Amino acid sequence: MYLEQIKTAEDEWRQRHQDEIARAESAPAACEDGIVLKLLYTPADAKADVYAEVGFPGEFPFTRGNDAAGYRNKLWTVSHYAGFGSPSETNVLFRRMIDHGGVPPYMALDLPTQLGLDPDHPMARGEVGMAGTSVASLRDWETIFDGIDLEKTFVGTVVNAPAAVFLAMHVVLAEKQGADLTKIRGNLQNDILKEFTARGNFIFPVAPSLRLVTDTLEYCAQHLPAYWPLNVCGGHYPEAGANRVHEVAFAFADAFTYIDDAIRRGVAIDNFGQGVFFLMKTNHTDLLEEVAKFRAMRKIWATRLRDHYGAKDPETMKCRVLAHSGGSLLTRERPELNIARTTLACVAGVLGGIQLIGLRTMDEVFGIPTEKSELIAIGTQHVVAHETGLPDVVDPLGGSYCVEALTAEFERNVLEELARIDRMGGMVKAIESGYVRKAIAQDAYRTHRAWESGTKVKVGVNKYRIDEDEPPRQPYAYKPEEEQRQVAAVQRLRRERDNAAVSKALERIVETARRPAQSESNLMPPIIEAVRAYATVGEICGALRQVFGEYSEPTSF
Amino acid sequence: MSTAQRRIRVLMGKPGLCGHDRGIVLVVMALRDAGMEVIYSGRHNSPESLVEVAIQEDVDVLGVSILAGGHLGLCERLAKLLRERNAQDIVLLAGGFIPPEDIPKLKAFGVREVFRDGAKLEDIVQFIEQVAGERAAA
Repeated sequence: MYLEQIKTAEDEWRQRHQDEIARAESAPAACEDGIVLKLLYTPADAKADVYAEVGFPGEFPFTRGNDAAGYRNKLWTVSHYAGFGSPSETNVLFRRMIDHGGVPPYMALDLPTQLGLDPDHPMARGEVGMAGTSVASLRDWETIFDGIDLEKTFVGTVVNAPAAVFLAMHVVLAEKQGADLTKIRGNLQNDILKEFTARGNFIFPVAPSLRLVTDTLEYCAQHLPAYWPLNVCGGHYPEAGANRVHEVAFAFADAFTYIDDAIRRGVAIDNFGQGVFFLMKTNHTDLLEEVAKFRAMRKIWATRLRDHYGAKDPETMKCRVLAHSGGSLLTRERPELNIARTTLACVAGVLGGIQLIGLRTMDEVFGIPTEKSELIAIGTQHVVAHETGLPDVVDPLGGSYCVEALTAEFERNVLEELARIDRMGGMVKAIESGYVRKAIAQDAYRTHRAWESGTKVKVGVNKYRIDEDEPPRQPYAYKPEEEQRQVAAVQRLRRERDNAAVSKALERIVETARRPAQSESNLMPPIIEAVRAYATVGEICGALRQVFGEYSEPTSF
Repeated sequence: MSTAQRRIRVLMGKPGLCGHDRGIVLVVMALRDAGMEVIYSGRHNSPESLVEVAIQEDVDVLGVSILAGGHLGLCERLAKLLRERNAQDIVLLAGGFIPPEDIPKLKAFGVREVFRDGAKLEDIVQFIEQVAGERAAA
């Protein structure tokens, strides 16, 4: 009745302002994923009974937030992101950060390490120590954490394809330190599915890659209850060009695939669900939809975990979201405007009620960020946190006709995409068939064409351009002496260790990998033994390659 | 069939270990839309395998994209391999996250043109049409 009245009133309002409204609506406005933005939202656009749909914060379905008191009791985490060079340099940096009361940053590894290649592999030439630390064996891990108590230190590692090897290194080193494994905290990225479709650092085919993830989830559920073994990355999808609905749908489809596999193995959802969280993007573009995205994510996740997976613990149902602003939206032109972009990205994340935010630095489009720009990125978050008053109200946009309508529509679109993937036979099939890659490529192409034609504005690039010289940069320089040092170190290691023990351990990995994926043939125990014998990352991955082969990606779009 | 009627053939590839391929995939799609025959190698290729495929497939252009900083070493090897195989007539193009000060170095190795991130697809298409035309005429 009430809604009928509103609709009639809106129609009358349209009549009264017919010309003005017709002019505004002649060019329809839509978000990048096609969700249409109406000129005006009224209670008729929001669901009839918003409170029945979204509830209260801290309660199912968590649309309005994971915590009852939002940011008043606990602000989001202001993330710190840093890169570094050799294992010993990394050790110095880690110790300094811990001495200053902080936690070590997430560990970045170089590409050869991420791809399971030793520093002296021919394909590693020119890339050792470039995009992060080169870690060839337990010996490097010992160097990195020399003098650091693993029982007291949260260690995050951005590693995917060889994640099991890094979990093994952490377990062995913790044991050597005499640590209580049940207290070990840390996190692996370990989201291999998005490597096939977005990030590109894959080694083995999809099915055995998934087996390795499940092996780590199962091992952690049994031995390292405080460790977070999986960090599902939706954020790599928009960086590869995907629209927002695809970002969320693909991230959830990946997550459900891991969960399905772990449950098949007999791991209980409430035993590992809380260690799964999402690393997404928070972007300034289509800002209201970004807020709707985070709200819809929580509802979709909680509903699926409760109703489909049978989670009992509300903590398991909470969708924990960490988000960084997207590097691909920064511009080299008028780079100072990147501060405005990331400020708005931060606001979007805060209005979305997420748990951690990291902002890009304005000058990383040129190379290694300067210290000044790092401080600006952190300071930007402090301004939003302490000057705007936004954290004082839980889910301040809850009840907004527009944001509630967008939240509901976003949810519908994500569920539709998830159903499409189900019809294809699940995410593994959708990846192998090339569907996911194609969908991302087509999104990226559409967006790029819109930037080139100017229908989509990039300030400083295709509108309000000011031609100026690029500032001097600090490039990511290749250090041949660093590479030679790592090559010499791994070759020395191979001479010094007990090679009979290494061969035996690698043989055991091969034997285990040949057996079907199940709890009895979990690869973690043999990988741990190989790591303990100082087998290298390349050798362990080589043993697995022998059995699993390598992934060959679909290349048609 | 005269060479003038032959469709332009391009091998697009990612040498080395860098996994970022948003840019190269956009170029692949734009070249196809422009009517060229494009082979995309996917990721993680050695320079040797790219040069081998370029020669086997008899391409006019070999385009590579590198965003992780390895462009100098990789492009030097690619150009050297093309010369060693007596295939320096295949036009070598590079794209990606490449600092402007490296462009002259890449050109000195034998890279014909460099398209940094932000380059227009249309400009890349036009450039390839032009160099392929010159190559057909030669």
